[in-house]
Amino acid sequence: MLAGDGRTRSQYQPIRDTLNRMGGELEHRADALARSYLDQGVTFDYAGEERAFPLDLVPRIITADEWDVIESGVAQRVKALEAFLADVYGREGSSLPRVVEAGLLPARIIRNSPHFHRAVAGIHPHNEVRCHVSGIDLIRDAEGVFRVLEDNVRVPSGVSYVISNRRAMTNVLPEIFENQHVRPVHDYPRTLLEALRAAAPDGNPDPTVVVLTPGVHNSAYFEHALLARLMGVELVEGRDLVCTGGAVRMKTTDGEQQVDVIYRRIDDEFLDPVQFRPDSLLGCPGLVDSQRAGKVAIANAIGNGVADDKLVYSYVPDFIRFYLEEDPILPNVDTYRCVEPAARDHVLAHLDEMVVKPVDGSGGKGLVMGPKASGATLDALREKLLADPRGWIAQPVVQLSTVPTLINGEFRPRHVDLRPFAVNDGSNVTVLPGGLTRVALPEGQLVVNSSQGGGSKDTWVLAPETDAEETDEPGLPSAEIIVMTPPEMADEDDWQDQQEQQQQQTQQTHQGPGAGAC
Amino acid sequence: MNPADRDRSSVRRYQIAHRTHFSYAGTVTASHNEVRMTPPTTTGQTSLESRLRIRPLSWGHTYRDYFGTSVTAIEATGPHGELDIESISTVERYETEPREVTITWDELRDENERDRRSEWLDPRPRTTLAPEVFAWVEHQVAGMTPQEAVKRVIDITWEQLHYQAGVTGVRSSAQDAWEARKGVCQDFSHVAIGLLRQLGIPARYVSGYLTPKKDLEVGQEAIGESHAWVEWWGGSWLGVDPTNLRRVSLDHVVVARGRDYDDVPPFKGVYSGAPLERLSVEVSITRLA
Amino acid sequence: MLSRIAESLFWIGRYVERVDGTARIVDVVRLSMLEGPAHAREASAQLVLSAIMGGTPGGGVRYDDLRDRLVFDQSNPSSIAGSWYAARENARRARETLSVDLWEAINTAWLRWRQLGTPDRTARHLHWARERAILVAGIADSTMSHDDAWNFLSVGRFLERADMTARMVNTGTLPIVGLSWQSVLSSCGGQQAFLRSNSGLATDRRVAAFLVLNRQFPRSVLYALRKAEACLTRMEPHQPAIGFADDGRRLLGQMRTALEFSTEDDVLADLPVQMRRVQRAVSQVSEHIAGRYFPSTPLTFWTEGVSS
Repeated sequence: MLAGDGRTRSQYQPIRDTLNRMGGELEHRADALARSYLDQGVTFDYAGEERAFPLDLVPRIITADEWDVIESGVAQRVKALEAFLADVYGREGSSLPRVVEAGLLPARIIRNSPHFHRAVAGIHPHNEVRCHVSGIDLIRDAEGVFRVLEDNVRVPSGVSYVISNRRAMTNVLPEIFENQHVRPVHDYPRTLLEALRAAAPDGNPDPTVVVLTPGVHNSAYFEHALLARLMGVELVEGRDLVCTGGAVRMKTTDGEQQVDVIYRRIDDEFLDPVQFRPDSLLGCPGLVDSQRAGKVAIANAIGNGVADDKLVYSYVPDFIRFYLEEDPILPNVDTYRCVEPAARDHVLAHLDEMVVKPVDGSGGKGLVMGPKASGATLDALREKLLADPRGWIAQPVVQLSTVPTLINGEFRPRHVDLRPFAVNDGSNVTVLPGGLTRVALPEGQLVVNSSQGGGSKDTWVLAPETDAEETDEPGLPSAEIIVMTPPEMADEDDWQDQQEQQQQQTQQTHQGPGAGAC
Repeated sequence: MNPADRDRSSVRRYQIAHRTHFSYAGTVTASHNEVRMTPPTTTGQTSLESRLRIRPLSWGHTYRDYFGTSVTAIEATGPHGELDIESISTVERYETEPREVTITWDELRDENERDRRSEWLDPRPRTTLAPEVFAWVEHQVAGMTPQEAVKRVIDITWEQLHYQAGVTGVRSSAQDAWEARKGVCQDFSHVAIGLLRQLGIPARYVSGYLTPKKDLEVGQEAIGESHAWVEWWGGSWLGVDPTNLRRVSLDHVVVARGRDYDDVPPFKGVYSGAPLERLSVEVSITRLA
Repeated sequence: MLSRIAESLFWIGRYVERVDGTARIVDVVRLSMLEGPAHAREASAQLVLSAIMGGTPGGGVRYDDLRDRLVFDQSNPSSIAGSWYAARENARRARETLSVDLWEAINTAWLRWRQLGTPDRTARHLHWARERAILVAGIADSTMSHDDAWNFLSVGRFLERADMTARMVNTGTLPIVGLSWQSVLSSCGGQQAFLRSNSGLATDRRVAAFLVLNRQFPRSVLYALRKAEACLTRMEPHQPAIGFADDGRRLLGQMRTALEFSTEDDVLADLPVQMRRVQRAVSQVSEHIAGRYFPSTPLTFWTEGVSS
C-alpha cells in the first residue's frame, strides 16, 4: 500500500497505528517497563547510580529478505575470521601464516597487535572453533546497504538485552505483536550451550560447562548470570576454579569437580597469571597449560583479539576471498589505514571530516568524531596518530539511516546500529535472528552507548512469507525506504531504520561508534 | 691433521646439570610454573638426552613454544615448603661450515624482508635505547658494512659496560644498564640487541650455558653458568657474545631464543603461600667427549 | 553446588532473617521508650544496642542514635539497611541459582527500602521491613527447589532466628524501664500464640519459657534450632555408625538437647547465660558449616615466582 505522498508504506505502519491508538496509556507502559527492568536488575551504572537500561517501545524491524543478507553475510564473516585465527595460531612456532606468505597481509600487523598472544600459539581447540560467539556490528548506510562496522570475537556482550528486551516487550506491549510473525530469540541459550558442549576436549559426550565471570561488580554481570541461568550451568569466578593434575576444577560443596568447557567473560590478560598479568586475581593459574594439554576448552579462544583489531578489520574482505574463495556479502565501511603513508597523509589532511579510532579500542573508547571535535582535540589526535600510526584507523563519516523512536510520546527518527550474534559449533554458524539494536536517543547523535544517552530496541526479524494481514499488499518491496537526508531533516513519517541501541556498559561492550563513523 | 683429530676438535659432548632450589619461609599450597631449561637440537647442536626432575610435582606437560623452545609446564598442588628443579641434559656441539657474510644494507632494508623478520627488528621496551645513545652509536658505524657495524656495536657494548653483578636486576632494561654502565650478560645482550635493531639489523636474544673456561678437558667437571648472548641476521643467524667478546663457539650451549629475556626465562610462574626465603641455582658442566 | 554460591545463600538466609529480627527488636524498644520516663531512655538505648550488636557502644546513646545505627546505617551489617544491602549483594552473586521470583523480591526490597523516606517515619520502615522479610522467606520456600541451595538458605535463616530470639529474650532480662516481657513477646509476634497455649495466663516466667522452649511456636529458640538441625541432616544424610561426620550438626544437637531435655526451671534460672550459650553455639555452627562447605571462598593471592 502507498502512503499519501505516494511512497511505499513501511513495515512500521501497523506498529505506529497500534501505538497511536494507545495514546496516553503508552507512557504508563513505558514506566512499567522501566520499573520491571529495575526490579530484574537489567541496569547499568550511570555516574555511580543504577539505572534501568532504556528500551524504546518501538521495535526495529528487519524484513526476511534483509535478514537473508545479514545472516549469510555474518556467517561468512565468522568463517573467514575463524580461518584467519587458525592460520595465525594453528601452526608450529613462528612460521608465517599463509595469508602473509601470499602477500595479502603484512606480518607486522599480526605481530604488533596487542592481542596477538604468542603464549597460545600452537594450541588446537578440539573442534577447531575459536569464535564460539561473535558479535558483528553493522550499520545501514544512506543507500540502504548493511555494512560491517567492526567485528567482536573476544567477549562480545549484549545478547542478554536481546533476550530481556523481547521478554519485556511481550509482557508490556503484547498488542503490537498481533498480526506479526516475529522470529523468536529464546533459543539462543540452547544454541550456545550446544556449541559449548561441542567444544569439549576429547569429544566428551557429557561435559561440564561453566560461565566464568570477573564478578558481581562487572558491568556485564547481569548478562553472565542470565546466560548461566538459562543454560543451567554454574556461574563461576576465578577463585572458584583451581588447576590440579592439569585439569581445571571448581570447588563445590561436594569437593572439586572437573570442568570441561569454560565460557569465559574475562579478558585474556586476566585469565591466567602464569602467562599474562601475574597480579590478576580474576583468573586461574595453569588454565592455558591445561588447555594446551587438551584438558579444558576455553570459549572464546585466547588471542582472538588479533582478528577484531580494527586495522585487521580492514583486511577481512580479503580474508573472505583468500580463505573461502567467495565474494564478501557484507561490505566494510571504507577505512584508511594510518600505518600506510599515503592513507595517513590523506587522513591528516581531512581530520575534521573523519571518524578516527584506535585499533584496539572497544566500546568507542578513544574514538574521535572529526566534525564535532575541537581544534585542540584534533591537534592532540594528529600528534598521537603520527607517533603511533599502527594504532589508528580512520573512516569517513557515514550517513546512517534512522528508524522511528518514541521520544516524549512522539515518533522521531533516530540513528541505530545492529549487533547480530553468531554462534559457531564447529559444523554450523548460527546467527540469532535479530540482535542488539542500539539507538542514539539525543537528536542527531551518531554515537550510541549508555553513557552517552543510548537506548536499545527490541529487534524483530520478520519470518518469510509475510502474512497477508500484516500488509495488505503482498508485493511490498522488501527494502525499506531509506532516509537520505541528514537526520535532523528526516521526515518523521519515514520510519526507516535507524537504530542503534544502547548498550550495556561492560568493558567489552562496544559502543557505538558512530554512526557515521564507522 | 688426520680426520680423527678434526673430529675430536670439532665435536664436544657435555653433560649439563642445572639445579634450582626454592625454599619458602612457610607452607606453599599451590605453585604453577613454566620451565625453559631443555637444550634443543639446532644448528651446531644435537640434544642427546634431557631429563627434568621436579619435586614436588602434581602434574607436568611439555610443549614447544612460539619461539621453538622446549617448555615444561609444572604444577605442585600439595602443601610444600621447598621446590627442587633439576635439569640434566647431554648435548653435542659441533662446528658448522663457516659461511661468508656478504649481506648489504640494501638487502636488510628491503621492506618485504623487514616485515618477515619484524619479530627481530621491532622495538621492545626492554631493549630500546634512548635516541641520543643511538645517535652516538650510529655516528660511530657510519660508512661501515653491516658486518663491520655488528662488530663495532659489540665492541662498543663491551667497552661501555663494566661486568658487575647485583647492579641490575632481572627486570632491568637496556637503558637502565647503559646509564649504570654496569650489568651482567643479560644487560650486555639487551644493549647489543637494541642497538642492532635500531640500525636495522635483525637480532635475537639467546639464553643457554657457557663453560667456565675455554676448551674444558674431557672428563673434567666444572661449575658453569647460565649465560646469554646475541644472534644477528647476516643471511643466516650468526652468534656474537658481547659479554666476553668471545666467539660463540663450542663452549656455548643454546637453550632458548626470543626477542628479549622475557621470552626465555628459565623459570616463571606464580605460587600461593609463604614468601620465598632462599633461592639457589647451580650449573655444572662436564665434558664427556 | 559451588561453595561460593552456597555461602552466598547461607548469608542471604541470615541477613533476611536479621532484617526481621532487628525490626522487631527496634520496634519494641521504640514503643517502650515512648511510654518510659525520659530520664531512663538513654541508658535503655545503650543496653539494647549492646544486647543486639554485641559490642559496647560509647556513652550518650539516645534512641535516635540507636535507631540510626540499627535501622538506617548501611555500613553496619547489623542494621536493617545493612542487612538488606548484604542480602542483595549476596543475591546478585548467587543470582543464577536463585529463582527469578526470589531474586526480584530481594532486589525490589532493597530498591524500595531506599525510597521509603525519612527516619521520622521509622514505624513504617519497621513494619515494611518485617513484611518484606517474611515475603522473601515465603517466596524462597515456594519457588525454589528444596535442594541443597534451599537447605543452605534455610539453615542460615534458622540459625539467625535462634540467635535473634536469644538476643530478644536477653533484652527481656535487662533492667530497662518500660520494657516488659509482654512487649518482648509481642515483638516476636507471639502474643496470640502464647495466650492460646497458656489460657491467657501471662507471667514473665511463662513468657520466657514460651520464647525459648516451645516446640510449636516458629520463633522460639528451640524451634529454630530443630529446623536448622534438620537442614544439616538433609545436607549430609549418611552418618558414620558412631558420632557425626560434621561437627556443626553435633554442636547444634548438643545445644538443642541441652535446652529440650533440661527442666524449665533450670533453663530459666540462668536465662542470660543460656541465651549467650545459644549465641555462641550459633556462631560455632556457622564456622563449622563454612569450614566444611565453603572452604574455598577467600581469594587466593598469587606471587610471581622469582626467575633463576
